[in-house]
Amino acid sequence: MLGRRDLIAAAATLALAIPFVGPSAGALAQQPPIRIALIGPMSGTGAFEGQLGLEGAQAAAAIINAKGGVAGRKLELLNYDDKGSPEDGVSAAKRAIEQDNVDFIIGGWFSAVALSMKEVTRDKIITVMTSSQHPKVTEEGHKYLFRLNATSAMMSNFYSKAICGQIKPKSIAFMNVNDDWGRLELDNYTKLLGECGIEIKGHEFYNRTDTDFTTALTKLKALNPDAIYVAAINTSQGATIYRQVRQTGFRGKVIASAGNMNPKLVELSGNSLESVYSASPFVEDNGQPSMKPWLAEYRKSYKNEPSFIAALGAQGVELIAAGVAGTGGDPRAYDKIAAYLKANETPTVLGNVRFSDQGQATQPIHLVQVKSKQIVAVRD
Amino acid sequence: MDFTVFAQQIANGLVNGMAYVLIATGLTLVFGVLRIVNFAHGEFYMLGAYLTYFAGTLLGLDYITAAVLGAVVVAALGVVANKLIFWPLRRDHEFTILLSSLGLALLIANSGELLFGADPKYVESPFADEILDIGTVTLTQQRVLVFAAAVAVLVAVYLFIRYSRFGKMMRATAQNPDGAALTGINIGLVHSYTFALACGLAALSGALVGPTVMIFPTIGNWAVLKGFIVVIMGGLGSVTGALFAGLLLGVIESLGGGYISLGFMEAIGYAMIIAVLLWRPNGLFSTARGLR
Repeated sequence: MLGRRDLIAAAATLALAIPFVGPSAGALAQQPPIRIALIGPMSGTGAFEGQLGLEGAQAAAAIINAKGGVAGRKLELLNYDDKGSPEDGVSAAKRAIEQDNVDFIIGGWFSAVALSMKEVTRDKIITVMTSSQHPKVTEEGHKYLFRLNATSAMMSNFYSKAICGQIKPKSIAFMNVNDDWGRLELDNYTKLLGECGIEIKGHEFYNRTDTDFTTALTKLKALNPDAIYVAAINTSQGATIYRQVRQTGFRGKVIASAGNMNPKLVELSGNSLESVYSASPFVEDNGQPSMKPWLAEYRKSYKNEPSFIAALGAQGVELIAAGVAGTGGDPRAYDKIAAYLKANETPTVLGNVRFSDQGQATQPIHLVQVKSKQIVAVRD
Repeated sequence: MDFTVFAQQIANGLVNGMAYVLIATGLTLVFGVLRIVNFAHGEFYMLGAYLTYFAGTLLGLDYITAAVLGAVVVAALGVVANKLIFWPLRRDHEFTILLSSLGLALLIANSGELLFGADPKYVESPFADEILDIGTVTLTQQRVLVFAAAVAVLVAVYLFIRYSRFGKMMRATAQNPDGAALTGINIGLVHSYTFALACGLAALSGALVGPTVMIFPTIGNWAVLKGFIVVIMGGLGSVTGALFAGLLLGVIESLGGGYISLGFMEAIGYAMIIAVLLWRPNGLFSTARGLR
């Protein structure tokens, strides 16, 4: 005879079981989505860049999903905040892998975050690092790690040739941020530009917390160089520097560091960025088949202008989709996917990307110039 | 030594220093009259810059009108902040008030990030990129405006405190709040107006400095830090002290950055605080308690 307690227990068991029956029954009809963790700075000083990356990735995923997804499965993006800090990046990656059981990770917008995060994902999950430029991200990477952005050495090799061959200043002075990257830039370009006969007049380092640059720029202007090279990553500092270069009365050429030209910078800098050069893997008219639909989708969904950072987010999603599609559709076949991506050129919004055995991408880089407040490619 | 560069660095320093003075004046007033160390002062600077930006972009106002409107609105917000937080706490321990102001600063900065967005913005001004050549020195009109407006405002504030009836009430309150109340001065009104004046000054400096740099929701940190350096150097509560200390800090930073190393520019301010605290703990220009 069943007692009242038994009845309650049975009812409770049923109630607990129902949620588990529901989704699995549904999954028979439709494959579960491929889950991609997007880990980026969603708050703090890098929040704007993180937002752009997220938007770019979402636009690319929307296009792929509208075409039926990858091997019949939709892409699902899960967003995590690394606050631009290594500690938060590590804990976000752990949460994505252990709690949310994601299939892929896209992250590594800042080098410091990428360097710590790759140790959590080491040989566990395919990890696509985006904008970080530090050489050690791939040098000390792991078998499932890929990095999209060109390293600073690759950028400077390309850009120095363009400066010597196309911009042709007689002399140059440097205005660089005082960190690993800024100092590396100075060393690279002092050597490379000196080799082609450009006179190096001097340099100034500014701090990452500085808000006024007139003191440094006054010194540089007094050296009377033909061109001033500005190495600034942070958009707000960059915009202030470009404005103040002109406000100090400098009328020579201004050269912006490679990879750091974006529509927001142009908007904030007003006329002072007019005719300024930079090098960028991102140009809108690069002729890639996926670029036009992505630009259209991005402009339709977001109010920001499409940018290099947004394109990196898109590229990460395209790369994962191509890897899964090219190896039969299993998102957990990491060895096969990694081998496939290293063996084949992958078409993306920014061009066809090849990867080294270490997972470092080789991307087309273009010389760009600001003309009428638009970033356009400089063709020979 | 190249005289042109030297003169240029002095000019840069004087302009930056005058901006520091403008920020510090409100801070020192609030301390002198109300005995409040207001960590949220920088956030009112930030709000001034943002309100000027939004008045320009959303309402389509010209820069000067937008700046004045921004300062007036922030002054009103200052009155509200005083009524809600500082006035009820006036009998509490100084630390309670200090921590409340820190809380207010975090609240405003984070709300700013939420409301205004994290992306940097630029306050458009018709004077920002127009260059003025004064002898061998090159300055933008905006920088000249920062200096001139600051001088005008400081003179007005000085005369107001020195000669107006309300200024006398402020000074009386600064010397002895209870005594002032006994003579019939409305202490509540003095608190409100002083806060409005201080916040309005902070906002005005934000609106003036805004077009020389980019603005983002955490710029208040920078402003309050510079403000405190100047106030400690000049003596807490001393308006004339703030004037000299601000200009001194600006020029020393500029010359230090120009002739020693830019890396030390930030450090110079802190080094000066330590030196002043060791040598004249009450500030370079202090004599006794009260508003000067």
